[in-house]
Amino acid sequence: MKVDILHRPDSAIAKIDMAPQEELVAEAGAMVAMSSHLDVNTTLRRGKGGGVFGGLKRMLAGESLFLSVFRSGTQPAEIYLAPKLMGDILPYQMTITDLVVQSTGYLASTPGVDVELGFQGLKSIFSGESIFWLTARGTGLVLLSAFGAVYEIEVDGEYIVDTGHIVAFEKTLNFSITKAGSSWIGAFLGGEGLVCKFQGKGRLFCQTHNPGAFGRLIGSQLPPR
Amino acid sequence: MKYEVRYKPAFATVFLTLNPGDRLTAEAGAMASMSAQLTMKTEFFGGLIPGLLKNFLGGESLFVNEFRNNTQQPLDLVLTQSTVGDVGIVELTGNAICFQPGAYIAHTPGIQIGVQWAGFSSWLAGEGLFRLKLTGNGLVFFGAYGGLSQKRVDGDYIVDSGHLVAYDPGIKMSIRLAGGMFGSVTSGEGLINRLSGQGRIYLQSRSTSGLVRFLRPKLR
Repeated sequence: MKVDILHRPDSAIAKIDMAPQEELVAEAGAMVAMSSHLDVNTTLRRGKGGGVFGGLKRMLAGESLFLSVFRSGTQPAEIYLAPKLMGDILPYQMTITDLVVQSTGYLASTPGVDVELGFQGLKSIFSGESIFWLTARGTGLVLLSAFGAVYEIEVDGEYIVDTGHIVAFEKTLNFSITKAGSSWIGAFLGGEGLVCKFQGKGRLFCQTHNPGAFGRLIGSQLPPR
Repeated sequence: MKYEVRYKPAFATVFLTLNPGDRLTAEAGAMASMSAQLTMKTEFFGGLIPGLLKNFLGGESLFVNEFRNNTQQPLDLVLTQSTVGDVGIVELTGNAICFQPGAYIAHTPGIQIGVQWAGFSSWLAGEGLFRLKLTGNGLVFFGAYGGLSQKRVDGDYIVDSGHLVAYDPGIKMSIRLAGGMFGSVTSGEGLINRLSGQGRIYLQSRSTSGLVRFLRPKLR
């Protein structure tokens, strides 16, 4: 499998060349174009994140209930995948470290990677922004999508990120929901609200723009549905 | 203080390094991420009364956050804006610059921030009754929806309301219909903003009101 990310960073699209007998899992609705002989299935995946319950949990997380599975069969094939918002796509190579992904940041993964709801779900309710997190574990490639560009922070010690700017982080990092300033009143009035504080050592991926903030800016000027 | 604007022009984002003792004030919500040792303090925007005016009439947040490095090592701060687009930087040397609501991102110490009556014509142009005026010595960061164009105005000049981001205080605004009543309706330009005076203006290549006008009829 060969992955090329084209048109970075503003209009990124993933072009994936698949060898025969290869498989790719993607968020439903992410497919833009593909070879006609690709076999497409929607799946409720087995394993910890699979089954009906796993699917329901994914739906709660803002992920589609079904993931699409693309199989190349006997011939090589190609497929283009893209997220909905303007922004970059980040390929992340999974090895031994689990990756926690913000629920809207998942685009696709190779079959060796299991995607399930992370235990962070409950904690994050208080963060106000995206409520759920997905945990990717296993070996293979994960494609992450971002609103804006992606910048990487090698955390060693402590680092603070506004909840709307997190794309993914390695699970070697501990995270806690906290206030950014010194006072609780300031934390709510100051517009930063609650933030995520990461502790430990690991890689953290942030997006330059906050989809929630942009949505509120435009949404507040639109009539109610 | 060191800074660098990366991912220009679509996703312009300000990456700053604050040295020990450095301070920076930023709009509420502008912080994307930062070193955990950085001290953040929330304040009223330019004092309580201007803050209130700004909130209710200028359409911006009532609060700003002051970031301060109280440690002995350089610390990182990343600032951004809610829209996608470019970021501009203006250096003030005793002069002033005015911002339309939503454009301001951050400023260095040495700059005073004030809210000024902009007049009814500004409000009619969809720009708010009050405007933000920054005066003093230092750097000001501001953002645009789309690309930023700088232009020097000398005399009269016309801009579409919604595309003006920042301007020198010497520039006055007055509202006109674009090309008379009939032409104004048919050309889709509606009200236009006639500027007069001398100074710099900054224009953004897209406007959020334009995006809202595009989306509104499509909602069901």
